[in-house]
Amino acid sequence: MTAQIAERLNYQGNDVAMCTNPLSDYFAMGGVNPRFESNCTALWRGYVGSWEIVNARLYLIGLNGTLEGGAEASLATIFPDYPDRVFAHWYSGTIRIPQGKQLEYVHMGYGSTFERDLFLDVERGVVVATRVRHNGTAESENALKVTKSAP
Amino acid sequence: MIYLYWYLGIGVVVLAVVYGAHRLTKEKKSESLRDLLEAVNPDGKKLSYRILNNFVAPVLAVILVVAVWPVVVYMQVKELFQKKESNGFPEEREFAVEREQLLERLTEQEIERREVVTDPLKAAPELPFGHLHAAWQEFLKGRADGAELWSFSARWQTMWGRKELRCGYVVVQDGAPGTHFLTVWKDIPDEAEADGSAKQERAKDIPG
Repeated sequence: MTAQIAERLNYQGNDVAMCTNPLSDYFAMGGVNPRFESNCTALWRGYVGSWEIVNARLYLIGLNGTLEGGAEASLATIFPDYPDRVFAHWYSGTIRIPQGKQLEYVHMGYGSTFERDLFLDVERGVVVATRVRHNGTAESENALKVTKSAP
Repeated sequence: MIYLYWYLGIGVVVLAVVYGAHRLTKEKKSESLRDLLEAVNPDGKKLSYRILNNFVAPVLAVILVVAVWPVVVYMQVKELFQKKESNGFPEEREFAVEREQLLERLTEQEIERREVVTDPLKAAPELPFGHLHAAWQEFLKGRADGAELWSFSARWQTMWGRKELRCGYVVVQDGAPGTHFLTVWKDIPDEAEADGSAKQERAKDIPG
């Protein structure tokens, strides 16, 4: 397997990589799945979503992908009545945002490690807590540190 | 010498078959994804990379296939047989709600009242289960007359050892849980296991 292209997240004014796929939960919970084409080993899911957190709420604001058959997909493909913004109320889980320099490249999924991971704990589309895990620095030996704080 | 010509000739035929199969199965990447992939791989714009990727690599592949086509044929046949054998791979057991995981009996109206989604930016329909309202209605269609609706909360471990929390609503017919509708599906860390025992104890009070 190959390392996967991450989702994009606009968080506190910054465009960051998001190593979580909330849209896959939507499909698994009964949402309409238009069947994306997987034509790249670095993008097995077949799409890249763009997300945004506004007032602690997670929104899907864009989608790039190709459907089986070759047609281009967009947000309107899945949510025709909400082509600009979709509140991800179905999602509960932890969003991982890697930060800092890469410590180790792993040729599988989102396995690569970075100096820090920012975790956003989400309950039904609402961010309820954030925490940072320190995985080490790029020039020194790895050191793990976990701190927890409310948003 | 004639045998060498035959050998190379068969190699050319194998090459043609492999190339034809590759062209048939290869799909055109969308423009938006191509831009994204190029951004991830900045080396793709360098002349040296393009020469290597678009000329040297294909030429080497052609030479290799023509020269060692028996190996290519063997690998293709092996791949075909491996695909058939992989169908025998043990399938992951399917999640099903158990009686001990039931929480409380509710009416359809009670459930829909508590599950209306609201959003200040109006980015979800103000309906029960929001964007999943249609899926909820589809779930209700399958409910038989006299079947009850219960909420549930379940700790589940996948075949690969990943621990998950799954919550939602389930149809219960004659005391037996049936189809379910998920409202929460998330990974849980190991330290959260202790909290699950309280919910399990509550569920034991279910009559029947």
